[in-house]
Amino acid sequence: MRNFLILSAMAVAATLALSRAALAQEAAKPGAAPDLSGVWLVEKFQPRLFPSGGAPFTPWAEAKFKATDLQKNDPNLACLPMGVPRFMIAVPYPMEILQMPTRIVIIHEGPQVMRQIYMNRQHPKDSDPSYSGDATGKWEGDTLVVDTIGFNDKTWLDGGGLPHTEALHVVERIRRIDHDTLVDDITVEDPMAYTKPLKNRQVYKLKPGWEIQEYVCEENNKYSYQAK
Amino acid sequence: MRTSTTKRMLVFPATAILVLLSLAGSAYAHHGFVSWFDMSRSITVKGTVTSFDWTNPHSYIYFDVKDEKGATQRWSAELGAVAMLARAGWKKDTVKPGDEITLIGNPAKDAKPQMHLDKIVFANGQELASAL
Repeated sequence: MRNFLILSAMAVAATLALSRAALAQEAAKPGAAPDLSGVWLVEKFQPRLFPSGGAPFTPWAEAKFKATDLQKNDPNLACLPMGVPRFMIAVPYPMEILQMPTRIVIIHEGPQVMRQIYMNRQHPKDSDPSYSGDATGKWEGDTLVVDTIGFNDKTWLDGGGLPHTEALHVVERIRRIDHDTLVDDITVEDPMAYTKPLKNRQVYKLKPGWEIQEYVCEENNKYSYQAK
Repeated sequence: MRTSTTKRMLVFPATAILVLLSLAGSAYAHHGFVSWFDMSRSITVKGTVTSFDWTNPHSYIYFDVKDEKGATQRWSAELGAVAMLARAGWKKDTVKPGDEITLIGNPAKDAKPQMHLDKIVFANGQELASAL
Protein backbone atom coordinates (compact mmCIF):
# COMPACT_ATOMS: atom_id res chain seq x y z
CA MET A 1 0.00 0.00 0.00
CA ARG A 2 2.84 2.32 0.98
CA ASN A 3 4.58 1.81 -2.33
CA PHE A 4 1.34 2.52 -4.12
CA LEU A 5 0.93 5.83 -2.27
CA ILE A 6 4.51 6.85 -2.97
CA LEU A 7 4.13 6.02 -6.64
CA SER A 8 0.84 7.94 -6.81
CA ALA A 9 2.39 10.98 -5.18
CA MET A 10 5.29 10.85 -7.61
CA ALA A 11 2.88 10.56 -10.53
CA VAL A 12 0.91 13.60 -9.36
CA ALA A 13 4.08 15.61 -8.81
CA ALA A 14 5.36 14.67 -12.25
CA THR A 15 2.08 15.63 -13.88
CA LEU A 16 2.05 19.02 -12.16
CA ALA A 17 5.65 19.67 -13.16
CA LEU A 18 4.90 18.76 -16.75
CA SER A 19 1.81 21.03 -16.81
CA ARG A 20 3.75 23.99 -15.48
CA ALA A 21 6.53 23.35 -17.94
CA ALA A 22 4.01 23.06 -20.75
CA LEU A 23 2.34 26.35 -19.83
CA ALA A 24 5.70 28.11 -19.60
CA GLN A 25 6.68 26.70 -22.97
CA GLU A 26 3.35 27.83 -24.42
CA ALA A 27 3.82 31.36 -23.15
CA ALA A 28 7.38 31.51 -24.40
CA LYS A 29 6.55 30.24 -27.88
CA PRO A 30 6.95 32.69 -30.69
CA GLY A 31 3.36 33.52 -31.70
CA ALA A 32 1.99 33.32 -28.17
CA ALA A 33 -0.93 35.71 -27.70
CA PRO A 34 0.18 39.32 -27.16
CA ASP A 35 -0.69 40.82 -23.81
CA LEU A 36 -3.35 43.54 -24.05
CA SER A 37 -4.16 43.45 -20.36
CA GLY A 38 -4.11 46.57 -18.25
CA VAL A 39 -6.11 49.67 -17.48
CA TRP A 40 -6.47 51.92 -20.51
CA LEU A 41 -7.87 55.42 -20.99
CA VAL A 42 -8.86 56.96 -24.31
CA GLU A 43 -6.18 59.48 -25.22
CA LYS A 44 -8.36 62.08 -26.92
CA PHE A 45 -12.00 62.05 -26.02
CA GLN A 46 -14.21 62.67 -29.04
CA PRO A 47 -17.62 61.06 -28.58
CA ARG A 48 -18.79 61.70 -32.14
CA LEU A 49 -17.77 59.62 -35.14
CA PHE A 50 -18.53 62.63 -37.36
CA PRO A 51 -17.93 65.77 -35.27
CA SER A 52 -18.47 68.00 -38.29
CA GLY A 53 -21.31 65.99 -39.79
CA GLY A 54 -21.18 64.12 -43.05
CA ALA A 55 -22.14 60.60 -42.03
CA PRO A 56 -23.06 58.60 -45.17
CA PHE A 57 -26.66 58.07 -44.13
CA THR A 58 -29.28 56.08 -45.95
CA PRO A 59 -32.56 58.00 -46.20
CA TRP A 60 -33.95 56.00 -43.25
CA ALA A 61 -30.98 56.81 -41.02
CA GLU A 62 -30.88 60.46 -42.01
CA ALA A 63 -34.53 60.92 -41.10
CA LYS A 64 -34.04 59.14 -37.80
CA PHE A 65 -30.94 61.20 -37.00
CA LYS A 66 -32.67 64.50 -37.76
CA ALA A 67 -35.59 63.53 -35.52
CA THR A 68 -33.28 62.68 -32.62
CA ASP A 69 -33.27 64.95 -29.60
CA LEU A 70 -29.90 64.68 -27.83
CA GLN A 71 -31.47 65.87 -24.60
CA LYS A 72 -34.20 63.26 -24.54
CA ASN A 73 -33.47 60.22 -26.68
CA ASP A 74 -29.96 59.22 -25.59
CA PRO A 75 -30.17 55.75 -24.00
CA ASN A 76 -27.36 56.81 -21.67
CA LEU A 77 -29.81 59.18 -20.02
CA ALA A 78 -31.43 56.05 -18.58
CA CYS A 79 -28.03 54.56 -17.74
CA LEU A 80 -28.61 51.94 -20.43
CA PRO A 81 -25.63 50.13 -21.96
CA MET A 82 -23.45 51.92 -24.50
CA GLY A 83 -23.34 49.11 -27.04
CA VAL A 84 -20.55 48.84 -29.61
CA PRO A 85 -18.60 50.82 -30.74
CA ARG A 86 -19.77 53.52 -28.32
CA PHE A 87 -18.36 51.42 -25.44
CA MET A 88 -14.91 51.86 -27.00
CA ILE A 89 -15.12 55.48 -28.19
CA ALA A 90 -17.42 57.56 -26.06
CA VAL A 91 -16.56 56.62 -22.49
CA PRO A 92 -13.88 58.96 -21.17
CA TYR A 93 -13.41 56.78 -18.12
CA PRO A 94 -10.86 53.97 -17.79
CA MET A 95 -11.40 50.44 -19.01
CA GLU A 96 -9.53 47.31 -18.04
CA ILE A 97 -8.75 44.46 -20.40
CA LEU A 98 -8.70 41.09 -18.68
CA GLN A 99 -7.23 38.43 -20.92
CA MET A 100 -7.84 34.71 -20.67
CA PRO A 101 -7.17 32.07 -23.33
CA THR A 102 -10.84 31.54 -24.19
CA ARG A 103 -12.28 34.92 -23.36
CA ILE A 104 -11.27 38.56 -23.20
CA VAL A 105 -13.34 40.68 -20.86
CA ILE A 106 -13.27 44.45 -20.90
CA ILE A 107 -14.63 46.12 -17.78
CA HIS A 108 -15.45 49.81 -17.92
CA GLU A 109 -15.87 52.48 -15.30
CA GLY A 110 -18.94 53.73 -17.12
CA PRO A 111 -22.63 53.12 -17.67
CA GLN A 112 -21.97 49.69 -19.21
CA VAL A 113 -19.77 47.66 -16.94
CA MET A 114 -18.67 44.82 -19.17
CA ARG A 115 -18.05 43.57 -22.68
CA GLN A 116 -17.05 39.98 -23.45
CA ILE A 117 -15.10 38.71 -26.45
CA TYR A 118 -15.22 34.94 -26.98
CA MET A 119 -12.03 33.64 -28.52
CA ASN A 120 -11.89 31.25 -31.45
CA ARG A 121 -15.52 30.32 -31.69
CA GLN A 122 -18.33 31.00 -34.15
CA HIS A 123 -21.27 33.32 -33.58
CA PRO A 124 -24.27 31.37 -32.26
CA LYS A 125 -27.10 31.02 -34.77
CA ASP A 126 -30.18 33.14 -34.07
CA SER A 127 -29.01 34.55 -30.77
CA ASP A 128 -31.30 37.02 -29.07
CA PRO A 129 -30.35 40.59 -30.06
CA SER A 130 -28.52 42.32 -27.25
CA TYR A 131 -26.98 45.70 -26.39
CA SER A 132 -23.43 44.40 -26.76
CA GLY A 133 -24.07 41.89 -29.53
CA ASP A 134 -22.03 38.68 -29.73
CA ALA A 135 -18.31 39.30 -30.05
CA THR A 136 -15.85 36.68 -31.28
CA GLY A 137 -12.12 37.18 -31.30
CA LYS A 138 -9.05 35.67 -32.93
CA TRP A 139 -5.42 36.62 -33.20
CA GLU A 140 -3.83 37.64 -36.46
CA GLY A 141 -0.20 38.01 -35.50
CA ASP A 142 -0.08 40.77 -32.93
CA THR A 143 -3.62 41.99 -33.67
CA LEU A 144 -6.80 40.94 -31.92
CA VAL A 145 -9.54 40.86 -34.54
CA VAL A 146 -12.99 41.19 -32.96
CA ASP A 147 -16.16 40.54 -34.93
CA THR A 148 -19.46 41.59 -33.38
CA ILE A 149 -23.01 40.99 -34.62
CA GLY A 150 -26.33 40.24 -32.98
CA PHE A 151 -27.13 43.73 -31.79
CA ASN A 152 -30.48 45.12 -30.78
CA ASP A 153 -31.27 48.60 -32.09
CA LYS A 154 -31.58 50.30 -28.72
CA THR A 155 -28.17 51.97 -28.64
CA TRP A 156 -26.45 54.78 -30.48
CA LEU A 157 -23.26 54.17 -32.42
CA ASP A 158 -21.67 57.17 -30.75
CA GLY A 159 -22.30 60.05 -28.40
CA GLY A 160 -23.72 62.13 -31.21
CA GLY A 161 -26.88 60.12 -31.84
CA LEU A 162 -25.91 58.07 -34.90
CA PRO A 163 -28.59 55.39 -35.30
CA HIS A 164 -28.17 51.77 -36.33
CA THR A 165 -30.29 48.70 -36.96
CA GLU A 166 -30.03 45.06 -35.89
CA ALA A 167 -27.98 44.54 -39.06
CA LEU A 168 -25.04 46.29 -37.40
CA HIS A 169 -21.70 44.53 -37.85
CA VAL A 170 -18.58 45.86 -36.14
CA VAL A 171 -15.05 44.68 -36.83
CA GLU A 172 -12.21 45.86 -34.63
CA ARG A 173 -8.49 45.38 -34.98
CA ILE A 174 -6.92 45.93 -31.59
CA ARG A 175 -3.18 46.13 -31.24
CA ARG A 176 -0.75 47.19 -28.54
CA ILE A 177 1.68 49.28 -30.58
CA ASP A 178 4.00 49.91 -27.67
CA HIS A 179 3.95 49.19 -23.96
CA ASP A 180 1.81 52.21 -23.13
CA THR A 181 -0.34 52.53 -26.25
CA LEU A 182 -3.31 50.51 -27.51
CA VAL A 183 -5.00 51.14 -30.83
CA ASP A 184 -8.48 50.02 -31.91
CA ASP A 185 -9.21 50.37 -35.62
CA ILE A 186 -12.99 50.15 -35.87
CA THR A 187 -15.09 49.44 -38.95
CA VAL A 188 -18.85 49.80 -38.65
CA GLU A 189 -21.14 48.35 -41.30
CA ASP A 190 -24.91 48.67 -41.36
CA PRO A 191 -26.22 48.71 -44.92
CA MET A 192 -29.70 49.65 -43.68
CA ALA A 193 -28.31 52.84 -42.11
CA TYR A 194 -25.08 53.77 -43.94
CA THR A 195 -24.18 53.63 -47.60
CA LYS A 196 -20.56 52.76 -46.85
CA PRO A 197 -18.55 51.47 -43.89
CA LEU A 198 -17.69 53.91 -41.11
CA LYS A 199 -14.09 53.85 -39.95
CA ASN A 200 -12.64 55.20 -36.75
CA ARG A 201 -9.37 54.84 -34.87
CA GLN A 202 -9.16 55.04 -31.10
CA VAL A 203 -5.91 55.37 -29.21
CA TYR A 204 -5.65 54.49 -25.55
CA LYS A 205 -2.85 55.06 -23.06
CA LEU A 206 -1.92 52.67 -20.30
CA LYS A 207 -2.75 53.88 -16.80
CA PRO A 208 -0.42 52.00 -14.46
CA GLY A 209 -1.69 51.91 -10.92
CA TRP A 210 -5.25 52.87 -11.85
CA GLU A 211 -7.98 50.56 -10.59
CA ILE A 212 -11.47 50.39 -12.06
CA GLN A 213 -13.79 51.95 -9.49
CA GLU A 214 -17.46 51.54 -8.91
CA TYR A 215 -19.76 53.70 -11.04
CA VAL A 216 -23.42 53.31 -10.17
CA CYS A 217 -25.10 55.42 -12.84
CA GLU A 218 -28.56 54.85 -11.39
CA GLU A 219 -27.68 56.33 -8.01
CA ASN A 220 -28.45 59.97 -8.70
CA ASN A 221 -29.39 60.21 -12.34
CA LYS A 222 -31.28 63.46 -12.83
CA TYR A 223 -31.89 63.06 -16.54
CA SER A 224 -34.97 61.56 -18.14
CA TYR A 225 -35.03 59.40 -21.23
CA GLN A 226 -37.58 58.92 -23.97
CA ALA A 227 -36.98 56.01 -26.29
CA LYS A 228 -37.63 56.75 -29.94
CA MET B 1 -8.89 104.21 -25.03
CA ARG B 2 -10.49 101.44 -27.01
CA THR B 3 -9.65 97.90 -26.17
CA SER B 4 -8.90 95.65 -29.08
CA THR B 5 -11.11 92.87 -27.84
CA THR B 6 -14.77 93.18 -27.18
CA LYS B 7 -15.85 92.37 -23.67
CA ARG B 8 -19.40 92.53 -22.50
CA MET B 9 -20.04 92.93 -18.81
CA LEU B 10 -23.37 91.34 -18.06
CA VAL B 11 -25.27 92.45 -15.02
CA PHE B 12 -26.01 89.05 -13.50
CA PRO B 13 -26.73 88.11 -9.88
CA ALA B 14 -24.06 89.82 -7.80
CA THR B 15 -20.74 89.42 -9.51
CA ALA B 16 -19.36 90.41 -12.86
CA ILE B 17 -19.29 87.42 -15.11
CA LEU B 18 -16.54 87.27 -17.64
CA VAL B 19 -17.71 85.80 -20.92
CA LEU B 20 -14.89 84.34 -22.92
CA LEU B 21 -14.80 82.48 -26.16
CA SER B 22 -13.03 79.26 -25.44
CA LEU B 23 -12.85 75.82 -26.85
CA ALA B 24 -14.75 72.98 -25.21
CA GLY B 25 -13.20 72.11 -21.90
CA SER B 26 -12.83 68.96 -19.91
CA ALA B 27 -16.49 68.04 -19.78
CA TYR B 28 -17.04 64.36 -19.23
CA ALA B 29 -20.46 62.84 -18.92
CA HIS B 30 -22.26 59.62 -19.51
CA HIS B 31 -24.21 61.27 -22.27
CA GLY B 32 -23.76 63.93 -24.92
CA PHE B 33 -22.42 66.63 -22.67
CA VAL B 34 -22.75 69.26 -25.36
CA SER B 35 -26.52 69.11 -25.14
CA TRP B 36 -27.18 71.20 -22.04
CA PHE B 37 -24.19 73.49 -21.75
CA ASP B 38 -22.66 76.00 -24.11
CA MET B 39 -19.15 74.61 -24.34
CA SER B 40 -17.95 77.58 -26.41
CA ARG B 41 -18.40 79.99 -23.50
CA SER B 42 -16.86 80.25 -20.06
CA ILE B 43 -18.39 81.95 -17.04
CA THR B 44 -17.06 82.76 -13.59
CA VAL B 45 -19.49 82.81 -10.69
CA LYS B 46 -18.87 83.48 -6.99
CA GLY B 47 -21.12 81.85 -4.42
CA THR B 48 -21.62 80.17 -1.07
CA VAL B 49 -21.87 76.40 -1.06
CA THR B 50 -25.15 75.03 0.27
CA SER B 51 -24.48 71.36 -0.49
CA PHE B 52 -22.15 69.03 -2.38
CA ASP B 53 -23.64 65.84 -3.83
CA TRP B 54 -20.74 63.37 -4.14
CA THR B 55 -22.43 60.83 -6.38
CA ASN B 56 -22.76 59.23 -9.81
CA PRO B 57 -23.32 59.75 -12.67
CA HIS B 58 -22.57 63.37 -11.76
CA SER B 59 -21.57 65.16 -8.63
CA TYR B 60 -23.22 68.54 -8.03
CA ILE B 61 -22.26 71.64 -6.13
CA TYR B 62 -25.28 73.69 -5.10
CA PHE B 63 -24.49 77.27 -4.18
CA ASP B 64 -26.16 80.59 -3.48
CA VAL B 65 -25.26 83.67 -5.47
CA LYS B 66 -26.23 87.11 -4.13
CA ASP B 67 -27.01 90.01 -6.44
CA GLU B 68 -26.24 93.66 -5.72
CA LYS B 69 -29.67 94.08 -4.12
CA GLY B 70 -28.95 91.21 -1.72
CA ALA B 71 -31.39 88.80 -3.36
CA THR B 72 -30.19 85.20 -3.50
CA GLN B 73 -30.37 82.80 -6.42
CA ARG B 74 -29.68 79.10 -6.10
CA TRP B 75 -27.22 77.77 -8.67
CA SER B 76 -25.98 74.29 -9.47
CA ALA B 77 -22.70 73.17 -11.00
CA GLU B 78 -22.46 69.74 -12.57
CA LEU B 79 -19.23 67.80 -12.19
CA GLY B 80 -18.14 64.44 -13.53
CA ALA B 81 -18.19 60.96 -12.05
CA VAL B 82 -16.90 60.33 -8.54
CA ALA B 83 -13.93 58.15 -9.48
CA MET B 84 -12.57 60.66 -12.00
CA LEU B 85 -13.05 63.50 -9.51
CA ALA B 86 -11.15 61.47 -6.94
CA ARG B 87 -8.28 61.03 -9.38
CA ALA B 88 -8.24 64.80 -9.86
CA GLY B 89 -7.88 65.26 -6.11
CA TRP B 90 -11.48 65.71 -4.99
CA LYS B 91 -13.02 64.12 -1.90
CA LYS B 92 -16.61 64.06 -0.68
CA ASP B 93 -15.84 66.97 1.65
CA THR B 94 -13.68 69.07 -0.70
CA VAL B 95 -16.41 71.69 -0.62
CA LYS B 96 -18.73 72.05 2.36
CA PRO B 97 -21.83 74.11 3.13
CA GLY B 98 -20.74 77.64 3.90
CA ASP B 99 -17.60 77.60 1.76
CA GLU B 100 -17.12 80.75 -0.31
CA ILE B 101 -15.84 79.65 -3.69
CA THR B 102 -15.48 80.84 -7.27
CA LEU B 103 -16.70 78.47 -9.96
CA ILE B 104 -15.47 78.55 -13.54
CA GLY B 105 -17.17 76.55 -16.23
CA ASN B 106 -19.63 76.47 -19.09
CA PRO B 107 -23.07 78.06 -18.79
CA ALA B 108 -26.38 76.36 -19.44
CA LYS B 109 -27.61 76.95 -22.97
CA ASP B 110 -31.03 78.10 -21.78
CA ALA B 111 -29.78 80.76 -19.34
CA LYS B 112 -30.81 78.75 -16.25
CA PRO B 113 -28.64 79.20 -13.14
CA GLN B 114 -26.70 76.05 -13.98
CA MET B 115 -23.22 75.41 -15.19
CA HIS B 116 -20.83 72.63 -16.04
CA LEU B 117 -17.76 72.95 -13.85
CA ASP B 118 -14.19 73.28 -15.13
CA LYS B 119 -12.57 74.33 -11.87
CA ILE B 120 -13.11 76.01 -8.55
CA VAL B 121 -11.05 78.60 -6.72
CA PHE B 122 -11.14 78.39 -2.95
CA ALA B 123 -11.26 81.49 -0.73
CA ASN B 124 -7.53 81.08 -0.12
CA GLY B 125 -6.81 81.28 -3.84
CA GLN B 126 -6.10 77.57 -4.31
CA GLU B 127 -7.50 76.15 -7.53
CA LEU B 128 -8.86 72.68 -8.20
CA ALA B 129 -9.80 71.46 -11.66
CA SER B 130 -12.73 69.10 -12.04
CA ALA B 131 -10.78 66.74 -14.28
CA LEU B 132 -7.22 65.59 -14.76
